[in-house]
Amino acid sequence: MSRPAVEQKKGEWRPSGPWITARKVVQYLSLLAFAALFITASKTDWNGSLVNLPMRLDPLLMLANLLASRAFLAGSALALLVVVLSLVFGRAWCGWLCPMGTVLDLFSLRRERGKRAAPSENWRSVKYVLLLAILSAALLGNLTLLIFDPLTLLYRTLTTSILPPLDWVVSAFEKLLYPVPFLAGPIAAFDAWVRPLILPSEPVYYRTALLFAVLFLVVVALNLAAERFWCRYLCPLGGMLGIFSKLRLFRRQVSEACKGCTLCSNACPTGTIDSARGYASDPSECTMCLDCLEACPRSGIDFTPRISIAEFREYDPNRRQALLAFGAALAGVALFRSSALSKRESPHLLRPPGAREANPNVVELTNCIRCGECLRACPTSGLQSAVSEAGLQGFATPVLVPRLGYCDYSCNACGRVCPAGAIPALTLEEKRQTVIGKAYLIEQRCIAWSDHQPCVVCEEMCPLPEKAIWLEEIQVQAADGTTLNLQLPHVLRERCIGCGICEYKCPVNGEAAIRVYVPEAALPF
Amino acid sequence: MNKLTRREFLRSATAGISALVLQQLLAACGQEPPEATAGVGAAPTQAKSPTETMAEQDSTQPAPQASEQPPLESQATQTPVRSLPDLVVARGGEPEALVRQALAALGGMERFVPKGARVVVKPNICVAYHTYEYAATTNPWVVGALVKLALEAGAKSVQVFDYPFGGSPEEAYTRSGIAEQVTAAGGEMVVMPAFKYVTAKIPHGVDLKKTEAYQDALNTDVLIDVPIAKHHGSARLTLGMKNLMGLILNRSAIHRNLGQRIADLASLFRPSLTVVDAVRILMDNGPTGGDLNDVKKLDTVIASPDIVAADSYATRLFGLVPEDVAYIPAAAAMGLGRSDLNGLKIEEIAVGA
Repeated sequence: MSRPAVEQKKGEWRPSGPWITARKVVQYLSLLAFAALFITASKTDWNGSLVNLPMRLDPLLMLANLLASRAFLAGSALALLVVVLSLVFGRAWCGWLCPMGTVLDLFSLRRERGKRAAPSENWRSVKYVLLLAILSAALLGNLTLLIFDPLTLLYRTLTTSILPPLDWVVSAFEKLLYPVPFLAGPIAAFDAWVRPLILPSEPVYYRTALLFAVLFLVVVALNLAAERFWCRYLCPLGGMLGIFSKLRLFRRQVSEACKGCTLCSNACPTGTIDSARGYASDPSECTMCLDCLEACPRSGIDFTPRISIAEFREYDPNRRQALLAFGAALAGVALFRSSALSKRESPHLLRPPGAREANPNVVELTNCIRCGECLRACPTSGLQSAVSEAGLQGFATPVLVPRLGYCDYSCNACGRVCPAGAIPALTLEEKRQTVIGKAYLIEQRCIAWSDHQPCVVCEEMCPLPEKAIWLEEIQVQAADGTTLNLQLPHVLRERCIGCGICEYKCPVNGEAAIRVYVPEAALPF
Repeated sequence: MNKLTRREFLRSATAGISALVLQQLLAACGQEPPEATAGVGAAPTQAKSPTETMAEQDSTQPAPQASEQPPLESQATQTPVRSLPDLVVARGGEPEALVRQALAALGGMERFVPKGARVVVKPNICVAYHTYEYAATTNPWVVGALVKLALEAGAKSVQVFDYPFGGSPEEAYTRSGIAEQVTAAGGEMVVMPAFKYVTAKIPHGVDLKKTEAYQDALNTDVLIDVPIAKHHGSARLTLGMKNLMGLILNRSAIHRNLGQRIADLASLFRPSLTVVDAVRILMDNGPTGGDLNDVKKLDTVIASPDIVAADSYATRLFGLVPEDVAYIPAAAAMGLGRSDLNGLKIEEIAVGA
């Protein structure tokens, strides 16, 4: 606040020019495409393999999945496009295409950050250590650390923490304004137009809404410490592309014309232009944003093709760090495997249809890259991020929480959008016969059993052609001495597929009187 | 960041509060409050058809004097129409022909739909699981025929909606085949948005005194109820009155004392016309269905201005009597219509193949 006005103005100066305009257009288009694919993921008539395209372009996700599942995913070779891009243009993905990077540019917090000095260069190695830890853990069969992939991070946040609150705000305004007479028509028209386009037709709720919002806000708030803090120091995908960028063809060159005016080093969003090195930059850190190119008043910067390996820096991964990352991953995975959940899984670990069978380890959900596509596609928001059901080893994997939403008998969206083979793409007919759990009646809480009131909602809701609930007709004596005819529901376990609509619709307050449990406990006999 | 002075803060806070007050004011004075609209709903559902247009055009029946009539009499008794039957059963033909002939025998759709009326057709689209052959949802051509007839009678608009309990509305509308037929017939297939529900008092309700009901169904000029006749676990059968549950939000509240509460709902909505689709009926595993062995093809349509009579007749298709389905005697006791089939003038039509 007390800084001289001139200095503050200098801090706010940003280069501009046709290259920067072009980059921004590409960035916004890419973010828009990401958002559009996110929006359409709930439209069940869309092709799943198009909807999850961003995940399959991500070499970190695809490599980690390959290491963990030891099987090639259909379409995962698309990620090679980004690898090739990095070999040619370095981390242009980060500067031009990554939707998370664009979000961090939009919320760069430049003014709030002021002229705070960036953290030590050594911080840059964090992303490499994280990358190595992810790949080591993947080799050992666990993908939990993929929650730090920028695409999964953004997608999960959009799913659980941005779209539902947005829907709430829109709906609240509609409800508020609809009774105003001259607004009723426009509001109804607005809703009929916007809701099918963007918003869910029923409100969706996520247990992790707040958690993922905080995680996302922390990543954005780190911009206060340095511009694109996440991309410079933490992003494991950035680290991976950075390693490829050591070989990049087009490198930034500084010519004799440079007079050391510092405009380029001030403009560089990743802070890799080093005055001490003659304003040279690290090809692994440069996102090819071209800010420096446009900033230079003497045209002293050029990006020319050159075949060689860039020099290693002190923050680049070394053997010690690799061993550290592998050791940490080994210890972590060993701890996961010795946790109680590995001996006896949670009784509520209801996996999406077919996922139990498709993954070698059902608690860690081996193939799951934690992207949240299935959560987004689930029309009832019954699919939730696992928090306690699967422990840290299965954190952010999908789990059906029937009290929040049921598995719709007419839907197979989760399997269609899963980019990782964690949820198999079942036909609707196959999905209808896939057992995800088994329902059990809790007689003490049941209205019919316990209160002797007529209620067979569970039976009505059961979607099976031959219902998995049958009704026993009995006569009971009421408190006033009269006899009552009553129907008592019973579960026919061999028919039940565990879709959970009975638990969801059970009118008993609080915990339902009918609950779905894992299909067969893996008994440690 | 700009500093916010106290004055500015107070100014914007005042502006916000005034906007809210203005909204409340406008909402209150602009429309009749929704509760009031719904409160008188039971009586003047007859007057849903604007009386003046009715009087001008209709020579076959006396113009209904809605306001003078006792609120809870069945429409059949309220508007005694010379020589017209109380209930028509059409058998043995294509769905559209069944509906057209049944309505013709009832005096034509013009009797129920005045020119320029806003019409709501309420089918049963309870789940998104199966196509119409499974008899879990109303036959699409029966719904389509009603939309056509209403438009031919001069309706301004015909809206069709239901709120499925399993699967999304969009999915259910499509899979049932109803969306296609409604659109082809010139009607609108509408997804029911949450902001259109209002708390409606049920003045004649015996057990259920209020509920969150869909205003477009409450305020429409004409409501046509077009259920499919189906087996149902707790209610035994789901017919015209049970079908009205798709128009309210909190359905779990209905499940205690189901029979009486469904009758209470019927007193709130009072459809002008009930057309029971029995082209295919579901004999077991209802209301959701899914097994073709449970489906029986009857090629039958039952139509009546009296929802209780229509439901009563439909029980016969299952070898039951009206007393077997708790909401029928409950509604008859409330004076919503007649369940004594012997006292009704019933016309049976063989449409022929």
